[in-house]
Order: sequence, then C-alpha cells, then structure tokens
Amino acid sequence: MSTFLVFVCIPLGIIAVVATLVLSRGDKGRPSRRYRPGRPYDFQPIWFLASPEHVRAVQNGHAQPALEAAVVENSAGERVLPGSTGGASDRW
Amino acid sequence: MTVGEHTSAALEHVGGPTAPAEPEPDISAVLDGPFTTRQLLRLDDALRVADQQTGLTFSVYLGELAEPARESAEQLHKQVEHAATAVLIAVSPNQRVLEIVTGPDARKRISDRDAKLAALSMAAAFAGGDLAGGVLAGLDQLASHAGRH
Repeated sequence: MSTFLVFVCIPLGIIAVVATLVLSRGDKGRPSRRYRPGRPYDFQPIWFLASPEHVRAVQNGHAQPALEAAVVENSAGERVLPGSTGGASDRW
Repeated sequence: MTVGEHTSAALEHVGGPTAPAEPEPDISAVLDGPFTTRQLLRLDDALRVADQQTGLTFSVYLGELAEPARESAEQLHKQVEHAATAVLIAVSPNQRVLEIVTGPDARKRISDRDAKLAALSMAAAFAGGDLAGGVLAGLDQLASHAGRH
C-alpha cells in the first residue's frame, strides 16, 4: 500500500500541479503584441516624433496633414518642397 | 502653464507622444500598438536625443503605406514641419517595406549610402521580429552619421 502511495500517488500529484500551473497561464494573458514576420500586423498607424504635440494617428494613410508647417504649396494646393529628397529603401 | 511645463508633462506620459491638446484616440492608438511601455519610452528618448544632437527632425512612421511605398513615404515626409531637415523612417510590417526619407538639407549630412546602411540593419532586426530594436538601431545609426550640429 505504501509502495502504491509513493510510486503512483506522488508522481500523479506532481504531474497534476505542473499541469495546473501550465494550463492556468495559457489563454488568460492577452495575445502577444509582438510583431512576428509573416503574421498579420493589425495595429493602427502610429507616427512618432520627438515633439509630442506633433504626433497623431493617421487615418487612411495620409489623408490629412499631420503636422502644421510653413511649406511651399504649388498651384494645385499640394505641399511641395524645393530640392529632392534622398534616403533608402529595403525589404525583409 | 508654460511651454516648459507643457513639454515635460507631456514627456512624462507613457510613450511621450501624448499632448493635452490631442484627443484620447491618440493615446490609445499608441498604447495599443505593438510596443511595450518600456519600448515606447526608449523610442521617445532615442528620438529626442537624435533631434537634440543632430538638429535634424527625426520621425518614425509605423503602419500601412499606400503603393507605391516610396511615393507615399515621401508624401508623409512632406507633412513634417521643416521637411528639408527632416528624416522619416517609414515602416510597414504588413508589406515588409522600410523607407527612409531624408530632406534636401538632411541629405547633405546623411548620404544615401549611410541611409542604406541603416536600412539594412533595420531590416535585419525586423526580419527577426524586433520592431523596436530595429527602429532604435536605425535611429542611432542615422543620428551618428549625421553628426553633431
């Protein structure tokens, strides 16, 4: 009888404790917000600037001017800049 | 409230980009984003340090870019105040596209080759699933290439 207690009941008890700990943490937490390549990324667009008052979420890409600035406007009323922009592109 | 108080109060907020003048959706959009509070704070700090050291205006856009991505990134760049000295890092995780746009004046300090170098390291971090780390690394590289003003 004591053999049965030691070799069956104690291992089963340990297994039950571990299983409870694992399963209790499984689905309760919020889904991970971390980005993983290939998984859909469904967050609102965010725009970070050092000056906080100049950041706002942009709806539909860039429908509205996000930042007020004294930029030259062309005849069509679009904001244009003298000179050309540079930079780089990449994909992953 | 003075300007200084306003700025410091806003920066004490989580993620920084929360100003009293802005409505609530902004804050929730940032807080519900892909970054943790700690990452937001680090990003805010990195942006401020980069701006202060270089005198350029760095900004990071994270979201969808309309096709073609390059043109829409340049459109976004034009909306930044003092766009000539602005540097925009536009990241679209869904399209897996990364665009760095430098204004005409900023381009003199950050050459296209430097920008490509930063883009490569950012793309490497993004491919590993590290959005915040990639953005921080890119900001750091771009700012150090631009030098002090």
